[in-house]
Amino acid sequence: MSPRVRLWVFLVGAAGFAALFAAACLDLPAFGTVPHPYGVRAVHAALSHHTANVIASVNFDLRAFDTLGEESILFSAVIGTVVLLRQARDEHRKDPEPATVHPPVRRFALLTLPFALLVGLYVIAHGQISPGGGFQGGVVAATALHLLYIAADYRALERVRPLTLYEIGEAAGEAAYVITGLAAVLAGSAFLANVLPFGTLATLSSGGTAMVLNAAVGLEVTSGIVVLLARFLDQAVEIEEPGEGGGSPRDTRDSGGNGDDERERA
Amino acid sequence: MSTSDGWLAAALVPLLALVPVLWRIAYGSPGDRLIGQNLTSLLAGLVLLLAAQGFHRTSYNDVALVVSVLGPTGTLIYARFLDVLPDSRLVRWTALVGVPATVLPLCVATGPGRAMAKLLLIGVLLIAGSVVTSGRGAREGVTA
Amino acid sequence: MTDVLIVVALLLVAGAATAAVLNRDPMRQALVLSFLGLALALLFTFLQAPDVALSQLAVGSAVTPLMILLTVRKVRRRPGSGDGVDKPAGRER
Repeated sequence: MSPRVRLWVFLVGAAGFAALFAAACLDLPAFGTVPHPYGVRAVHAALSHHTANVIASVNFDLRAFDTLGEESILFSAVIGTVVLLRQARDEHRKDPEPATVHPPVRRFALLTLPFALLVGLYVIAHGQISPGGGFQGGVVAATALHLLYIAADYRALERVRPLTLYEIGEAAGEAAYVITGLAAVLAGSAFLANVLPFGTLATLSSGGTAMVLNAAVGLEVTSGIVVLLARFLDQAVEIEEPGEGGGSPRDTRDSGGNGDDERERA
Repeated sequence: MSTSDGWLAAALVPLLALVPVLWRIAYGSPGDRLIGQNLTSLLAGLVLLLAAQGFHRTSYNDVALVVSVLGPTGTLIYARFLDVLPDSRLVRWTALVGVPATVLPLCVATGPGRAMAKLLLIGVLLIAGSVVTSGRGAREGVTA
Repeated sequence: MTDVLIVVALLLVAGAATAAVLNRDPMRQALVLSFLGLALALLFTFLQAPDVALSQLAVGSAVTPLMILLTVRKVRRRPGSGDGVDKPAGRER
């Protein structure tokens, strides 16, 4: 297809989309007005199950089955990455070189690490009370671990990160979600129904199964992101393809000085 | 103008300051772009704090808490891969002036308690993160 | 007042997204993407959706940049990526 034809195809498509989109927008309810009937019912359902954060109630109670699907998407995406980015037979692994890090940056990263981890756990634990939850907190906690890569280097991160444990954690999180759902069936209710005692509103133990499912998602996401980033880090730092010009990527640039040129050239 | 409108109007100041920052990130030199990234998370943290007060939702401060932790982390990740961590007086002074100017009035409005402790914590994290990532001489020694 | 904040945030999102498309260098795009993520998080907060804002922040501020930068580094290390023979590197001329 020549650029001219391509442009015309784009213009026709864009014009059609613009017309349909404008027509659809005209039929939307006015911005930020009347409460939606679904919203009213969701808030009512959340409060009757003692879940202060309505979003958590929708995610882990009213639509827990949807969330199982979403969790499985991340789960299978991580598995796909692990399979795709594995070490091939003709690739070899080299030890990453130690990096030198400016002392204030190192101190700051090491001080922030436990703190960020705590923030992540806090966001997970308060999922049913305040904004946040398993996914958000899980990603923050997983990011926190990688501050060690910033503070030192990949070797330091590898030393404190038993990857097998995180792979097990990922599977356990996914399994815990399904098992919680099946437990509700055994208790004589529907799959993923909220059968646990609801607890007191706005406390850490409130929300019944919403709290359990939230924790399961937190475990799955934390471990999943760690495994995911580990594959990317392996590929970028350790694994070398055959014929890859000897040594590390660090050799190609002088430290600090002309890193800019290097980037601009590309 | 009600007080909540006042807080939201105050949030407009750091929000509008993001416009020139976007320009620098899109078209500036490599060092400028990193400074811009640093400044963005700092300003966004301030906007979020003021907006939380404007909406009367102290739980929204959690979003600012996450920014104050992850913002500097993001900057340091870029610094490692771009091999620059530029010294920036702009970021340092925005943090040293802007954060107290935002957090202290918010503390007065919130009154003593857990919410105030969290506000102060976010303020300290924002300042610490910005000062470390804009520090003088940080450029040498940061290699991949 | 909320409407003003929403309009400014929307304009920032539109500007950042356009800038991300117009930039060709992946490194540059990553930085613009970070800005876009933060602008989106602000927009979500103004629309009173802090849960979504938190998701956006958590993913957009550190994990996504790290993945992009690691990928760029890996692609550039490949033999032949300099002259654009390799497919993945071809885009960053």
